[in-house]
Amino acid sequence: MNRTKTYQRKKILLFCLITALLLAALTVRAWYLMVDQSEYYIEQADQLHQRERFIKGARGNIYDAAGVLIAGNRTVCTVSVIHNQITDEEEVIQVLSRELEMEEEEIREKVEKYSSREIIKTNVDKEVGDKIRLYRLDGVKVDEDYKRYYPYGSLASKVLGFTGSDNQGIIGLEVKYEEYLKGTDGMILTLTDARGVEIEQAAEERIEPVAGNDLHISLDVNIQKYAEQAAYKVMEEKGAKSVSVIIMNPQNGELYAMVNAPEFDLNDPFTLPEGTGEGVSAEERQDLLNQMWRNGCINDTYEPGSTFKIITMTAGLETGAVSVSDQFYCPGYIVVGDRRIRCHKTSGHGAENFVQGAMNSCNPVFIETGLRLGVDRTYEYFGRLGLLNKTGVDLPGEAGTIMHDKEKMGEVELATVSFGQSFQITPLRLLTTVSSIINGGTQITPHFGVSVHSPDGGQVTVLEYEEEAGVISEETSRQVREILEQVVSEGTGKKAYLPGYRVGGKTATSEKLPRRNGKYISSFLGFAPADDPQVAVLITIDEPEGIYYGGTVAAPVVASILENILPYLGVEPSYTEEELETYQIGDAQVPDLMGMTKEEAAAALKDTEFQAQYLGEDGVVTDQFPLAGETIGKTGTVILYLGESSD
Amino acid sequence: MAGKKKKREKVRRYYDYSLLVTIVFLCCFGLIMIYSSSSYMAALEYAKSDGAAHYMIRQAQALALGFVGMLIISKIDYHFYKHFAVLGYVVSVVVMILVNYTPFGIERNGSRRWFGIPGTNKSLFQPAELVKVALILALACAISYLVKWIDKLRVVILLLVIAAIPTYLVITNNLSSGIIIFGIACVMYFVASRKKLRFAVILAVVAAFVFVVLEFGDQLVSLGILKDYQLERIYVWQDPGAYPLDGGYQVLQGLYAIGSGGLFGKGLGNSLQKLGFVPEAQNDMIFSIICEELGLFGAGCLIMLFLFMIWRFMVIAQNAPDLFGGLLVVGIMAHIAIQVILNIAVVTNTIPNTGITLPFISYGGSSIVFLMAEMGLALSVSNQITYEK
Repeated sequence: MNRTKTYQRKKILLFCLITALLLAALTVRAWYLMVDQSEYYIEQADQLHQRERFIKGARGNIYDAAGVLIAGNRTVCTVSVIHNQITDEEEVIQVLSRELEMEEEEIREKVEKYSSREIIKTNVDKEVGDKIRLYRLDGVKVDEDYKRYYPYGSLASKVLGFTGSDNQGIIGLEVKYEEYLKGTDGMILTLTDARGVEIEQAAEERIEPVAGNDLHISLDVNIQKYAEQAAYKVMEEKGAKSVSVIIMNPQNGELYAMVNAPEFDLNDPFTLPEGTGEGVSAEERQDLLNQMWRNGCINDTYEPGSTFKIITMTAGLETGAVSVSDQFYCPGYIVVGDRRIRCHKTSGHGAENFVQGAMNSCNPVFIETGLRLGVDRTYEYFGRLGLLNKTGVDLPGEAGTIMHDKEKMGEVELATVSFGQSFQITPLRLLTTVSSIINGGTQITPHFGVSVHSPDGGQVTVLEYEEEAGVISEETSRQVREILEQVVSEGTGKKAYLPGYRVGGKTATSEKLPRRNGKYISSFLGFAPADDPQVAVLITIDEPEGIYYGGTVAAPVVASILENILPYLGVEPSYTEEELETYQIGDAQVPDLMGMTKEEAAAALKDTEFQAQYLGEDGVVTDQFPLAGETIGKTGTVILYLGESSD
Repeated sequence: MAGKKKKREKVRRYYDYSLLVTIVFLCCFGLIMIYSSSSYMAALEYAKSDGAAHYMIRQAQALALGFVGMLIISKIDYHFYKHFAVLGYVVSVVVMILVNYTPFGIERNGSRRWFGIPGTNKSLFQPAELVKVALILALACAISYLVKWIDKLRVVILLLVIAAIPTYLVITNNLSSGIIIFGIACVMYFVASRKKLRFAVILAVVAAFVFVVLEFGDQLVSLGILKDYQLERIYVWQDPGAYPLDGGYQVLQGLYAIGSGGLFGKGLGNSLQKLGFVPEAQNDMIFSIICEELGLFGAGCLIMLFLFMIWRFMVIAQNAPDLFGGLLVVGIMAHIAIQVILNIAVVTNTIPNTGITLPFISYGGSSIVFLMAEMGLALSVSNQITYEK
């Protein structure tokens, strides 16, 4: 029998040593993979195992000046499918297309797509989402989400703006304050197996979402509502294309309201008004939408016309180029250079002083003022009053002023600019500049944003805006206010007269370009009280039909707005003796109406301003309230109870 | 010097209990790892039958059978098995022929590696595992007879033919098993032969060939020496990340598992890669799950255990009563060593991917049964070692 030889034993040992060596080398290799490269592979593996599920951070709310919610969130659902987890494709397609009212083909494509997660539809109503959840379909996920909600629908639509599918602001304040309003998304990191199924016992990593900050703005829902009503009313009455109203606090630039009728529904911002947008291309449709979303008060410019005379007046009085007592003569036209510029009253205003010229809105008077100022000083005051710059309002897309270059400004240009023609500014620019004139000479920044509050209300950031005092003197400011008050009390702005309040203002009727095609913009700029302006209003009515004079069409709207919002803002009326008499404001005694029939009582009240309210069908007055002899407001209501006489 | 004492001392039979304990430990560890790596997917796949324990139960059954077989084999003098050398060799070759060329061969996952009953599609065992045992036995027998003329050309050719026939039959369907089988034969011849230089030359030639393949793969393909898919495997090996979906998927997933293990691993049962990422984690790639769960420490311990086992084989081989016993254990040792090295090398992407199981640990019934038979042979050799006390 052969024994194992020594050399063979050595060779066995050699083989074992080689094996040990190779295993040692492999251990080193394992060390390299598991220690040196560990970080890389862990990261790669995590990417493979972890599924990120985002939890949306709620967007901040927007509140009006009184703390009323005007933009909030509503819970909606996102429906998505996970291909790997679906057990019954057909059922999933059937149920989803039925509940979500979508084409089967569209859903089928997504259901059959081999991806970790495919979103079927976002912004699904919570009720629909809950219903889908009840089917308990494998592979169908319903996640809750937030959708922007505007409780007042179309109110201040072009100011507030709306949000897109990712809850990002698209226009208006929603864009401007995006960084404050937007929430920070949270995240749930879950572990999944190769099919994408979440592992139940695995620890979840959770990053909590942070809600966005709340924005408090100066807009007041009640004022905005009233201004919108007034705007819609005049738009309908005059068959106008559009009506804009801006209401501002001239002292600090806070905007109380900004109306651009017609407004649109913020909860449905992608639907064009009825009768438009049918059968148009996607591009044209987008144009129409952009047109609908446009905020005319700041995005569009117009020729201001006579309201701009306030600026010419201010520059003239401030520089001393004119004084209130200067005498002028208007023959119905004025010759400037080689041009003959007509006054709106072709027969001429005759002899008048500066204040009368302003009350008549006489073009030659203001052309004369402009010419006396000259190009340099005119330009200097335009600069001081901010006319050449944007207002800096906290809304996106503000248009700039379109003005002649100083170098190219000749006498004719200067003359037309003096009464508000041949250049364009935005309505907001005009109102802001006039505000800084009537508030005593402080250049202000118009704005909506007042303060930003953290979601728990703990932190409050008050928003600050630029102000520059002393751009004109107090004295000039006072003079301008007085002249403008006279314009309303006795001049072209008579229809804005409001008993009990000192209203100042200026009318304008601008002929749209091209001239002579009968299209006008009627406007009125008013403020009150004239001695200490608390509110300034500018209304522009685009293309009114029929009578188009600003003094006739626009001034009464401002009067009605002021009549309602001044008491609301806490400005009480104080009547002069003359007003009490003229407008019969005051108290009166209630007459004795007992025992009268309905007809007799009506006849008895006919001479008074009392309103009668009858309770009961027929018979005679058995009781009245207030009782005979009591003193109530002269236009008060007297309640009369009718019935069988007790006698 | 021990002349006097010799008569007093009783002659004792040796039995390598440390090897036995190592085998038992490795098998139990294997069962645990099979359960850990397969339970999640098995629970999904066999939800209506065995559930999570599906693979572990089947492995345990095969293991029980193999363990009993091992104990019986180990208690019989290994010289008895000499009588079966020729028979075993012939049977294994015939079975391989049946599998390759008749309906007895059954295809699984695209490879015809299973012996089964025609028409039923029921597989019984993988004959490649039988071939390993049969060839070890046959070569140990042949070499121990021919050891005097071991370096004569005729003998070399004869041994080469004995090894080449089953190798060829296996390699057509199973490259990696073919390499292992031929590797075992080479090691056995290397041990028996007096020469050293010729082996160094062979190793050098192999190394040069590998170098040429790596450097001039394209040219070899155009010359028809290398096949396209083989070259592709080499490319995948060089940068598995570039082929994340095709060839590189398995390797890449294995690397993610190994890499995310770190020093001490995620803890037993906590692998994430076994959740369907590493395909059939209980099979060839089980080492990557061990790395992920037990870390470098656990993987190192396992390698040490295999090394210890090989050291035990070496001790048994060197002290075997005769060359036949020694060569038998050398063949077994070579089998374990080659398979462990290749498996770990594949899983760690040290060499191009080829399907090799990790002995004792990977799931596979035929593999464990024939492996236990080999262990029985080794223990049987150890049991014939006598020593004096």
